[in-house]
Amino acid sequence: MFNIFDLKKSYGKTEVLKSITMRIDDGEVICIIGPSGSGKSTFLRCLNLLEEPTGGQIYYNGTILDNTLDSKRLRREVGMVFQKFNLFPMFTVLKNVMYAPMHVKHTGKKEAEKIARNLLEKVGLGNKAAAYPAQLSGGQQQRVAIARALAMQPKMLLFDEPTSALDPELVNEVLNVMKNLRKEGMSMVVVTHEMGFARDVSDRVVFMDKGFIVEEGRPAEIFNHPKQERTQQFLNRVLGGVSYE
Amino acid sequence: MNNLLSQLHFATAAEYLVPSLIHGIGVVLEATFFGFILATIIGIFIAIGRLFGWKIVKAFLYVFLEVIRGTPLLVQLVYIYYVVPLIINLFAAMLGYKTDVQIDPLVAGIAGLAINYGCYMSEVIRAGIVAVDKGQMEAALVLGFGRYEALFRIIMPQALRSIIPSLGNYLVMMIKDTSLLAYVAVNELLLRTQTFASQTFYTIEAYTYLALFYLILSVPLSHCIKFIEYKLSSSNR
Ligand SMILES: Nc1ncnc2c1ncn2[C@@H]1O[C@H](COP(=O)(O)OP(=O)(O)OP(=O)(O)O)[C@@H](O)[C@H]1O
Ligand SMILES: [Mg+2]
Repeated sequence: MFNIFDLKKSYGKTEVLKSITMRIDDGEVICIIGPSGSGKSTFLRCLNLLEEPTGGQIYYNGTILDNTLDSKRLRREVGMVFQKFNLFPMFTVLKNVMYAPMHVKHTGKKEAEKIARNLLEKVGLGNKAAAYPAQLSGGQQQRVAIARALAMQPKMLLFDEPTSALDPELVNEVLNVMKNLRKEGMSMVVVTHEMGFARDVSDRVVFMDKGFIVEEGRPAEIFNHPKQERTQQFLNRVLGGVSYE
Repeated sequence: MNNLLSQLHFATAAEYLVPSLIHGIGVVLEATFFGFILATIIGIFIAIGRLFGWKIVKAFLYVFLEVIRGTPLLVQLVYIYYVVPLIINLFAAMLGYKTDVQIDPLVAGIAGLAINYGCYMSEVIRAGIVAVDKGQMEAALVLGFGRYEALFRIIMPQALRSIIPSLGNYLVMMIKDTSLLAYVAVNELLLRTQTFASQTFYTIEAYTYLALFYLILSVPLSHCIKFIEYKLSSSNR
Protein backbone atom coordinates (compact mmCIF):
# COMPACT_ATOMS: atom_id res chain seq x y z
CA MET A 1 0.00 0.00 0.00
CA PHE A 2 2.70 2.44 1.05
CA ASN A 3 6.21 2.68 -0.29
CA ILE A 4 8.30 5.19 1.57
CA PHE A 5 11.73 6.35 0.40
CA ASP A 6 14.09 8.51 2.41
CA LEU A 7 11.24 10.39 4.06
CA LYS A 8 12.34 13.53 5.90
CA LYS A 9 10.47 16.01 8.04
CA SER A 10 11.83 19.01 9.87
CA TYR A 11 10.24 21.88 11.71
CA GLY A 12 12.48 24.82 11.00
CA LYS A 13 15.91 23.61 12.02
CA THR A 14 14.76 20.60 14.05
CA GLU A 15 15.01 17.46 11.99
CA VAL A 16 12.37 15.11 13.33
CA LEU A 17 12.44 12.44 10.64
CA LYS A 18 15.92 12.10 9.19
CA SER A 19 15.48 9.29 6.70
CA ILE A 20 12.72 6.73 6.77
CA THR A 21 12.53 4.03 4.13
CA MET A 22 10.01 1.23 4.43
CA ARG A 23 7.07 -0.42 2.76
CA ILE A 24 3.70 -1.29 4.17
CA ASP A 25 1.79 -4.09 2.50
CA ASP A 26 -1.92 -4.74 2.16
CA GLY A 27 -3.36 -6.46 5.20
CA GLU A 28 -0.28 -5.92 7.31
CA VAL A 29 -0.37 -4.94 10.95
CA ILE A 30 2.68 -2.92 11.89
CA CYS A 31 3.53 -1.68 15.33
CA ILE A 32 5.87 1.26 15.69
CA ILE A 33 7.69 1.49 19.00
CA GLY A 34 10.40 3.78 20.26
CA PRO A 35 11.24 6.39 22.85
CA SER A 36 9.34 9.62 23.27
CA GLY A 37 10.31 12.25 20.72
CA SER A 38 11.72 9.74 18.25
CA GLY A 39 9.30 10.88 15.53
CA LYS A 40 6.71 8.09 15.61
CA SER A 41 3.68 10.38 15.54
CA THR A 42 5.28 12.59 12.94
CA PHE A 43 5.88 9.59 10.70
CA LEU A 44 2.31 8.39 11.07
CA ARG A 45 0.98 11.86 10.33
CA CYS A 46 3.05 12.06 7.16
CA LEU A 47 1.25 8.98 5.85
CA ASN A 48 -2.10 10.79 5.68
CA LEU A 49 -0.54 14.18 4.99
CA LEU A 50 -1.55 15.73 8.29
CA GLU A 51 2.11 16.74 8.16
CA GLU A 52 3.76 17.73 4.93
CA PRO A 53 7.05 15.88 4.44
CA THR A 54 10.07 18.06 3.76
CA GLY A 55 11.97 15.44 1.78
CA GLY A 56 11.82 12.01 0.20
CA GLN A 57 8.85 10.30 -1.41
CA ILE A 58 5.80 8.42 -0.26
CA TYR A 59 3.92 6.29 -2.78
CA TYR A 60 0.40 5.16 -1.99
CA ASN A 61 -0.64 2.31 -4.28
CA GLY A 62 1.78 3.57 -6.88
CA THR A 63 0.72 7.22 -6.69
CA ILE A 64 3.21 9.67 -5.30
CA LEU A 65 1.91 11.83 -2.48
CA ASP A 66 2.73 15.41 -3.34
CA ASN A 67 0.85 18.66 -3.25
CA THR A 68 -1.00 17.91 -6.48
CA LEU A 69 -2.64 14.99 -4.72
CA ASP A 70 -6.12 15.32 -3.30
CA SER A 71 -5.40 14.63 0.34
CA LYS A 72 -9.13 14.31 1.03
CA ARG A 73 -9.29 11.20 -1.13
CA LEU A 74 -6.24 9.70 0.51
CA ARG A 75 -7.74 10.28 3.94
CA ARG A 76 -10.96 8.51 2.99
CA GLU A 77 -8.91 5.40 2.40
CA VAL A 78 -6.43 5.80 5.24
CA GLY A 79 -8.28 6.53 8.48
CA MET A 80 -6.78 7.62 11.76
CA VAL A 81 -7.45 7.13 15.46
CA PHE A 82 -5.88 9.54 17.95
CA GLN A 83 -4.54 9.22 21.43
CA LYS A 84 -7.10 11.72 22.72
CA PHE A 85 -10.05 10.28 20.74
CA ASN A 86 -11.11 13.70 19.45
CA LEU A 87 -14.78 12.82 19.26
CA PHE A 88 -17.09 15.68 18.33
CA PRO A 89 -18.47 16.73 21.72
CA MET A 90 -21.64 18.38 20.44
CA PHE A 91 -22.84 15.26 18.62
CA THR A 92 -24.24 12.03 20.03
CA VAL A 93 -22.21 8.87 19.62
CA LEU A 94 -24.41 7.82 16.72
CA LYS A 95 -24.01 11.16 14.96
CA ASN A 96 -20.26 11.07 15.48
CA VAL A 97 -20.15 7.82 13.54
CA MET A 98 -22.69 8.81 10.87
CA TYR A 99 -21.44 12.29 10.24
CA ALA A 100 -18.54 11.75 7.84
CA PRO A 101 -20.27 9.12 5.67
CA MET A 102 -23.23 11.47 5.31
CA HIS A 103 -21.33 14.66 4.59
CA VAL A 104 -18.16 13.41 2.93
CA LYS A 105 -19.41 10.39 1.02
CA HIS A 106 -23.00 11.64 0.75
CA THR A 107 -24.36 8.34 1.98
CA GLY A 108 -28.09 8.56 2.62
CA LYS A 109 -29.17 9.11 6.21
CA LYS A 110 -30.86 5.70 6.62
CA GLU A 111 -27.91 3.87 5.12
CA ALA A 112 -25.40 5.84 7.21
CA GLU A 113 -27.37 5.13 10.36
CA LYS A 114 -27.48 1.43 9.57
CA ILE A 115 -23.72 1.31 9.05
CA ALA A 116 -23.15 3.32 12.21
CA ARG A 117 -25.36 1.12 14.37
CA ASN A 118 -23.68 -2.01 13.06
CA LEU A 119 -20.25 -0.59 13.84
CA LEU A 120 -21.28 0.49 17.31
CA GLU A 121 -22.58 -3.01 17.89
CA LYS A 122 -19.26 -4.36 16.69
CA VAL A 123 -17.24 -2.26 19.14
CA GLY A 124 -19.66 -3.26 21.91
CA LEU A 125 -21.43 0.08 22.25
CA GLY A 126 -24.75 -0.58 20.58
CA ASN A 127 -26.52 0.70 23.69
CA LYS A 128 -24.63 4.01 23.79
CA ALA A 129 -25.82 5.40 20.45
CA ALA A 130 -27.76 8.23 22.08
CA ALA A 131 -25.11 9.19 24.62
CA TYR A 132 -22.78 12.14 24.28
CA PRO A 133 -19.02 11.56 24.28
CA ALA A 134 -18.57 13.27 27.65
CA GLN A 135 -20.87 10.66 29.22
CA LEU A 136 -18.58 7.80 28.19
CA SER A 137 -15.41 6.40 29.74
CA GLY A 138 -12.15 6.84 27.89
CA GLY A 139 -12.19 3.27 26.65
CA GLN A 140 -15.71 3.69 25.33
CA GLN A 141 -14.82 6.97 23.66
CA GLN A 142 -11.88 5.37 21.93
CA ARG A 143 -14.07 2.54 20.69
CA VAL A 144 -16.49 5.11 19.28
CA ALA A 145 -13.54 6.81 17.60
CA ILE A 146 -12.60 3.51 15.99
CA ALA A 147 -16.18 2.99 14.82
CA ARG A 148 -16.17 6.54 13.44
CA ALA A 149 -13.02 5.83 11.45
CA LEU A 150 -14.40 2.50 10.21
CA ALA A 151 -17.61 4.15 9.04
CA MET A 152 -15.69 5.63 6.12
CA GLN A 153 -14.78 2.07 5.13
CA PRO A 154 -11.05 2.79 4.97
CA LYS A 155 -8.51 0.40 3.54
CA MET A 156 -6.09 1.11 6.33
CA LEU A 157 -6.17 2.58 9.83
CA LEU A 158 -3.43 4.54 11.54
CA PHE A 159 -3.44 4.50 15.33
CA ASP A 160 -1.36 6.99 17.33
CA GLU A 161 -1.01 5.59 20.83
CA PRO A 162 -4.68 4.64 21.02
CA THR A 163 -4.49 3.44 24.61
CA SER A 164 -2.02 5.88 26.15
CA ALA A 165 -4.70 8.20 27.49
CA LEU A 166 -6.64 5.38 29.12
CA ASP A 167 -6.76 4.08 32.66
CA PRO A 168 -4.98 0.72 32.73
CA GLU A 169 -8.17 -1.27 33.29
CA LEU A 170 -9.69 0.19 30.10
CA VAL A 171 -6.79 -0.60 27.80
CA ASN A 172 -7.86 -4.11 26.95
CA GLU A 173 -11.33 -3.30 25.72
CA VAL A 174 -9.73 -1.10 23.06
CA LEU A 175 -6.98 -3.57 22.21
CA ASN A 176 -9.57 -6.31 21.80
CA VAL A 177 -11.44 -4.25 19.24
CA MET A 178 -8.18 -3.80 17.37
CA LYS A 179 -7.43 -7.51 17.55
CA ASN A 180 -10.80 -8.23 15.99
CA LEU A 181 -10.02 -5.78 13.21
CA ARG A 182 -6.84 -7.66 12.57
CA LYS A 183 -8.77 -10.89 12.24
CA GLU A 184 -10.94 -9.23 9.61
CA GLY A 185 -7.83 -8.36 7.64
CA MET A 186 -7.71 -4.62 8.23
CA SER A 187 -4.32 -3.04 7.47
CA MET A 188 -3.10 -1.15 10.50
CA VAL A 189 -0.13 0.91 11.53
CA VAL A 190 -0.10 1.30 15.29
CA VAL A 191 2.20 3.53 17.30
CA THR A 192 2.07 2.02 20.74
CA HIS A 193 3.71 1.57 24.09
CA GLU A 194 1.75 -1.67 24.61
CA MET A 195 4.56 -4.15 24.07
CA GLY A 196 2.26 -7.09 24.69
CA PHE A 197 0.04 -5.99 21.83
CA ALA A 198 3.01 -5.37 19.54
CA ARG A 199 4.37 -8.80 20.29
CA ASP A 200 1.12 -10.75 19.97
CA VAL A 201 -0.81 -8.96 17.29
CA SER A 202 1.57 -7.39 14.80
CA ASP A 203 3.15 -8.87 11.70
CA ARG A 204 6.05 -6.54 11.95
CA VAL A 205 7.54 -4.33 14.63
CA VAL A 206 9.41 -1.16 13.73
CA PHE A 207 11.72 0.39 16.29
CA MET A 208 12.32 4.10 15.74
CA ASP A 209 14.82 6.34 17.45
CA LYS A 210 15.93 9.91 16.75
CA GLY A 211 14.21 10.11 13.38
CA PHE A 212 15.51 6.84 11.99
CA ILE A 213 14.20 3.31 11.79
CA VAL A 214 16.79 1.52 13.86
CA GLU A 215 15.46 -1.97 13.37
CA GLU A 216 12.43 -3.75 12.02
CA GLY A 217 11.37 -7.33 11.89
CA ARG A 218 8.92 -9.94 13.04
CA PRO A 219 7.86 -9.42 16.66
CA ALA A 220 9.64 -12.56 17.84
CA GLU A 221 12.93 -11.35 16.35
CA ILE A 222 12.65 -7.84 17.73
CA PHE A 223 11.56 -8.85 21.20
CA ASN A 224 13.70 -11.95 21.65
CA HIS A 225 16.77 -11.28 19.54
CA PRO A 226 17.14 -7.59 18.86
CA LYS A 227 20.19 -7.00 16.69
CA GLN A 228 20.80 -3.39 17.59
CA GLU A 229 22.00 -2.31 20.95
CA ARG A 230 19.64 0.67 21.03
CA THR A 231 16.65 -1.63 20.53
CA GLN A 232 17.86 -3.81 23.34
CA GLN A 233 18.32 -0.86 25.66
CA PHE A 234 14.88 0.47 24.84
CA LEU A 235 13.20 -2.88 25.40
CA ASN A 236 15.02 -3.41 28.66
CA ARG A 237 13.85 -0.01 29.80
CA VAL A 238 10.18 -0.38 28.87
CA LEU A 239 9.78 -4.03 29.72
CA GLY A 240 12.01 -3.61 32.77
CA GLY A 241 11.34 -6.97 34.33
CA VAL A 242 7.58 -6.72 33.80
CA SER A 243 6.48 -9.69 31.79
CA TYR A 244 3.93 -9.20 29.04
CA GLU A 245 3.44 -12.90 28.35
CA MET B 1 -37.73 73.93 46.09
CA ASN B 2 -41.30 72.96 45.26
CA ASN B 3 -41.47 76.00 43.16
CA LEU B 4 -38.46 74.97 41.18
CA LEU B 5 -39.72 71.47 40.59
CA SER B 6 -43.05 72.79 39.45
CA GLN B 7 -41.20 74.47 36.60
CA LEU B 8 -40.49 71.04 35.14
CA HIS B 9 -43.04 69.72 32.70
CA PHE B 10 -42.51 65.98 32.55
CA ALA B 11 -46.13 65.27 31.70
CA THR B 12 -46.27 67.75 28.83
CA ALA B 13 -42.90 66.65 27.54
CA ALA B 14 -43.99 63.04 27.66
CA GLU B 15 -47.09 63.76 25.67
CA TYR B 16 -45.09 64.94 22.67
CA LEU B 17 -41.72 63.29 23.08
CA VAL B 18 -42.61 59.75 24.12
CA PRO B 19 -44.59 58.82 20.97
CA SER B 20 -41.71 60.14 18.91
CA LEU B 21 -39.19 58.13 20.91
CA ILE B 22 -41.31 55.02 20.51
CA HIS B 23 -41.06 55.53 16.75
CA GLY B 24 -37.35 56.01 17.18
CA ILE B 25 -37.03 52.64 18.87
CA GLY B 26 -37.96 51.07 15.55
CA VAL B 27 -34.98 52.79 13.95
CA VAL B 28 -32.69 51.76 16.79
CA LEU B 29 -33.78 48.14 16.54
CA GLU B 30 -33.44 48.14 12.77
CA ALA B 31 -29.93 49.59 12.90
CA THR B 32 -28.89 47.20 15.66
CA PHE B 33 -30.44 44.15 14.05
CA PHE B 34 -28.81 44.60 10.65
CA GLY B 35 -25.67 46.13 12.09
CA PHE B 36 -25.14 43.21 14.41
CA ILE B 37 -25.83 40.48 11.88
CA LEU B 38 -23.49 42.10 9.39
CA ALA B 39 -20.89 42.70 12.09
CA THR B 40 -21.01 39.02 13.03
CA ILE B 41 -20.54 37.96 9.42
CA ILE B 42 -17.72 40.46 8.92
CA GLY B 43 -16.18 39.33 12.20
CA ILE B 44 -16.28 35.67 11.21
CA PHE B 45 -14.66 36.37 7.86
CA ILE B 46 -11.97 38.61 9.33
CA ALA B 47 -11.24 35.99 11.98
CA ILE B 48 -10.98 33.20 9.42
CA GLY B 49 -8.92 35.36 7.07
CA ARG B 50 -6.49 36.20 9.83
CA LEU B 51 -6.20 32.58 10.90
CA PHE B 52 -6.21 30.70 7.62
CA GLY B 53 -5.85 33.27 4.85
CA TRP B 54 -2.94 33.84 2.51
CA LYS B 55 -0.16 36.06 3.80
CA ILE B 56 -1.37 39.02 1.74
CA VAL B 57 -4.89 38.65 3.16
CA LYS B 58 -3.50 38.50 6.68
CA ALA B 59 -1.41 41.62 6.09
CA PHE B 60 -4.33 43.53 4.61
CA LEU B 61 -6.64 42.56 7.47
CA TYR B 62 -4.02 43.52 10.02
CA VAL B 63 -3.75 47.03 8.59
CA PHE B 64 -7.51 47.29 8.22
CA LEU B 65 -8.04 46.38 11.88
CA GLU B 66 -5.43 48.92 12.98
CA VAL B 67 -7.18 51.66 11.02
CA ILE B 68 -10.64 50.82 12.32
CA ARG B 69 -9.58 50.34 15.92
CA GLY B 70 -7.38 53.42 15.82
CA THR B 71 -10.20 55.77 14.81
CA PRO B 72 -13.43 56.60 16.66
CA LEU B 73 -16.70 55.10 15.50
CA LEU B 74 -18.15 58.59 15.20
CA VAL B 75 -15.42 59.60 12.77
CA GLN B 76 -16.00 56.44 10.74
CA LEU B 77 -19.72 57.15 10.53
CA VAL B 78 -19.14 60.70 9.39
CA TYR B 79 -16.57 59.46 6.91
CA ILE B 80 -18.92 56.92 5.38
CA TYR B 81 -21.85 59.30 5.23
CA TYR B 82 -20.17 62.52 4.07
CA VAL B 83 -16.78 61.61 2.64
CA VAL B 84 -17.32 58.33 0.78
CA PRO B 85 -19.99 59.82 -1.54
CA LEU B 86 -17.68 62.77 -2.26
CA ILE B 87 -14.86 60.40 -3.16
CA ILE B 88 -17.15 58.41 -5.43
CA ASN B 89 -18.32 61.58 -7.15
CA LEU B 90 -14.75 62.77 -7.50
CA PHE B 91 -13.66 59.54 -9.18
CA ALA B 92 -16.72 59.59 -11.41
CA ALA B 93 -15.86 63.15 -12.40
CA MET B 94 -12.33 62.08 -13.26
CA LEU B 95 -13.82 59.47 -15.56
CA GLY B 96 -15.99 62.14 -17.11
CA TYR B 97 -19.30 61.38 -15.44
CA LYS B 98 -21.28 63.81 -13.42
CA THR B 99 -22.80 62.02 -10.47
CA ASP B 100 -24.40 62.99 -7.23
CA VAL B 101 -24.12 59.86 -5.16
CA GLN B 102 -25.61 60.05 -1.71
CA ILE B 103 -25.84 57.37 0.92
CA ASP B 104 -29.02 56.84 2.84
CA PRO B 105 -28.32 57.86 6.45
CA LEU B 106 -29.53 54.58 7.92
CA VAL B 107 -27.52 52.54 5.41
CA ALA B 108 -24.40 54.56 6.23
CA GLY B 109 -25.09 54.10 9.93
CA ILE B 110 -25.57 50.36 9.64
CA ALA B 111 -22.43 50.04 7.51
CA GLY B 112 -20.40 52.00 10.06
CA LEU B 113 -21.67 49.95 12.99
CA ALA B 114 -21.14 46.69 11.11
CA ILE B 115 -17.57 47.45 10.07
CA ASN B 116 -16.51 48.88 13.40
CA TYR B 117 -18.09 46.14 15.51
CA GLY B 118 -17.06 43.47 13.01
CA CYS B 119 -13.43 44.36 13.65
CA TYR B 120 -13.73 44.18 17.42
CA MET B 121 -15.86 41.04 17.30
CA SER B 122 -13.39 39.34 14.96
CA GLU B 123 -10.88 39.24 17.80
CA VAL B 124 -13.37 37.49 20.07
CA ILE B 125 -14.32 35.08 17.30
CA ARG B 126 -10.69 34.41 16.52
CA ALA B 127 -9.96 33.63 20.16
CA GLY B 128 -12.99 31.34 20.24
CA ILE B 129 -11.80 29.42 17.19
CA VAL B 130 -8.27 29.12 18.53
CA ALA B 131 -9.60 27.85 21.84
CA VAL B 132 -11.23 24.82 20.21
CA ASP B 133 -8.99 21.80 20.66
CA LYS B 134 -6.68 21.34 17.67
CA GLY B 135 -7.63 17.67 17.66
CA GLN B 136 -11.12 18.59 16.46
CA MET B 137 -9.81 19.98 13.19
CA GLU B 138 -7.52 16.99 12.75
CA ALA B 139 -10.32 14.53 13.45
CA ALA B 140 -12.45 16.19 10.79
CA LEU B 141 -9.57 16.29 8.29
CA VAL B 142 -8.75 12.60 8.67
CA LEU B 143 -12.40 11.75 8.05
CA GLY B 144 -12.08 13.40 4.66
CA PHE B 145 -13.50 16.86 5.33
CA GLY B 146 -11.80 19.85 3.73
CA ARG B 147 -10.32 22.59 5.87
CA TYR B 148 -13.18 25.05 5.45
CA GLU B 149 -15.84 22.37 5.70
CA ALA B 150 -14.29 21.28 8.98
CA LEU B 151 -14.17 24.89 10.11
CA PHE B 152 -17.85 25.56 9.49
CA ARG B 153 -19.23 22.14 10.42
CA ILE B 154 -17.09 21.18 13.39
CA ILE B 155 -15.03 24.08 14.72
CA MET B 156 -17.39 27.07 14.48
CA PRO B 157 -20.31 25.42 16.33
CA GLN B 158 -17.97 24.69 19.23
CA ALA B 159 -16.31 28.10 19.07
CA LEU B 160 -19.71 29.84 19.11
CA ARG B 161 -20.47 28.38 22.52
CA SER B 162 -17.67 30.40 24.04
CA ILE B 163 -18.15 33.34 21.71
CA ILE B 164 -21.89 33.98 22.12
CA PRO B 165 -21.77 35.44 25.64
CA SER B 166 -19.14 38.01 24.70
CA LEU B 167 -20.91 38.81 21.45
CA GLY B 168 -23.99 39.48 23.54
CA ASN B 169 -22.14 42.24 25.33
CA TYR B 170 -21.30 43.78 21.96
CA LEU B 171 -25.01 43.69 21.10
CA VAL B 172 -25.85 45.76 24.18
CA MET B 173 -23.02 48.16 23.39
CA MET B 174 -24.24 48.49 19.83
CA ILE B 175 -27.76 49.41 20.90
CA LYS B 176 -26.31 52.27 22.91
CA ASP B 177 -23.90 53.29 20.15
CA THR B 178 -26.77 53.74 17.72
CA SER B 179 -27.08 57.14 19.42
CA LEU B 180 -24.05 58.17 17.35
CA LEU B 181 -26.14 57.76 14.21
CA ALA B 182 -27.76 61.06 15.16
CA TYR B 183 -24.66 62.72 13.71
CA VAL B 184 -25.30 61.23 10.28
CA ALA B 185 -28.91 62.39 10.24
CA VAL B 186 -30.55 59.12 11.26
CA ASN B 187 -33.72 60.06 13.06
CA GLU B 188 -33.12 57.84 16.04
CA LEU B 189 -33.65 58.61 19.72
CA LEU B 190 -30.95 61.19 20.30
CA LEU B 191 -31.76 63.25 17.22
CA ARG B 192 -35.46 63.21 18.06
CA THR B 193 -34.70 64.35 21.58
CA GLN B 194 -32.33 67.08 20.43
CA THR B 195 -34.92 68.40 18.02
CA PHE B 196 -37.62 68.34 20.65
CA ALA B 197 -35.43 69.98 23.31
CA SER B 198 -34.28 72.75 21.03
CA GLN B 199 -37.85 73.58 20.07
CA THR B 200 -39.44 73.41 23.52
CA PHE B 201 -36.51 74.07 25.89
CA TYR B 202 -37.74 71.14 28.01
CA THR B 203 -34.10 70.09 28.11
CA ILE B 204 -34.05 68.34 31.48
CA GLU B 205 -37.23 66.44 30.76
CA ALA B 206 -36.28 65.44 27.24
CA TYR B 207 -32.86 64.03 28.00
CA THR B 208 -34.15 62.29 31.10
CA TYR B 209 -36.69 60.48 28.96
CA LEU B 210 -33.97 59.69 26.46
CA ALA B 211 -31.80 58.09 29.13
CA LEU B 212 -34.79 56.13 30.39
CA PHE B 213 -35.47 54.79 26.92
CA TYR B 214 -31.94 53.52 26.57
CA LEU B 215 -32.21 51.88 29.97
CA ILE B 216 -35.45 50.20 28.97
CA LEU B 217 -33.74 48.85 25.87
CA SER B 218 -30.45 47.72 27.30
CA VAL B 219 -31.15 46.46 30.82
CA PRO B 220 -33.59 43.68 29.86
CA LEU B 221 -31.39 42.75 26.94
CA SER B 222 -28.28 42.39 29.03
CA HIS B 223 -30.21 40.25 31.49
CA CYS B 224 -31.42 38.05 28.61
CA ILE B 225 -27.83 37.62 27.56
CA LYS B 226 -26.73 36.69 31.07
CA PHE B 227 -29.48 34.10 31.08
CA ILE B 228 -28.38 32.66 27.73
CA GLU B 229 -24.80 32.62 28.96
CA TYR B 230 -25.90 30.73 32.05
CA LYS B 231 -27.92 28.25 29.97
CA LEU B 232 -25.00 27.65 27.64
CA SER B 233 -22.52 27.08 30.42
CA SER B 234 -24.79 24.74 32.37
CA SER B 235 -25.60 22.63 29.29
CA ASN B 236 -21.95 22.52 28.31
CA ARG B 237 -20.90 19.08 27.27
N1 LIG C 1 4.68 21.08 15.18
C1 LIG C 1 5.92 20.88 15.67
N2 LIG C 1 6.80 21.89 15.73
C2 LIG C 1 8.04 21.71 16.21
N3 LIG C 1 8.50 20.54 16.69
C3 LIG C 1 7.67 19.49 16.67
C4 LIG C 1 6.34 19.60 16.16
N4 LIG C 1 5.76 18.39 16.26
C5 LIG C 1 6.67 17.57 16.80
N5 LIG C 1 7.83 18.22 17.05
C6 LIG C 1 9.04 17.65 17.62
O1 LIG C 1 9.36 16.50 16.89
C7 LIG C 1 9.90 15.50 17.74
C8 LIG C 1 9.22 14.20 17.47
O2 LIG C 1 7.85 14.32 17.80
P1 LIG C 1 6.82 13.11 17.70
O3 LIG C 1 5.55 13.59 18.28
O4 LIG C 1 6.80 12.60 16.31
O5 LIG C 1 7.50 12.02 18.62
P2 LIG C 1 6.89 10.67 19.15
O6 LIG C 1 7.86 9.63 18.81
O7 LIG C 1 5.50 10.50 18.68
O8 LIG C 1 6.91 10.88 20.71
P3 LIG C 1 5.84 10.47 21.82
O9 LIG C 1 6.10 9.04 22.17
O10 LIG C 1 6.15 11.39 22.96
O11 LIG C 1 4.48 10.70 21.25
C9 LIG C 1 9.74 16.00 19.16
O12 LIG C 1 11.00 16.40 19.62
C10 LIG C 1 8.82 17.18 19.03
O13 LIG C 1 9.16 18.17 19.96
MG1 LIG D 1 3.59 10.58 19.58
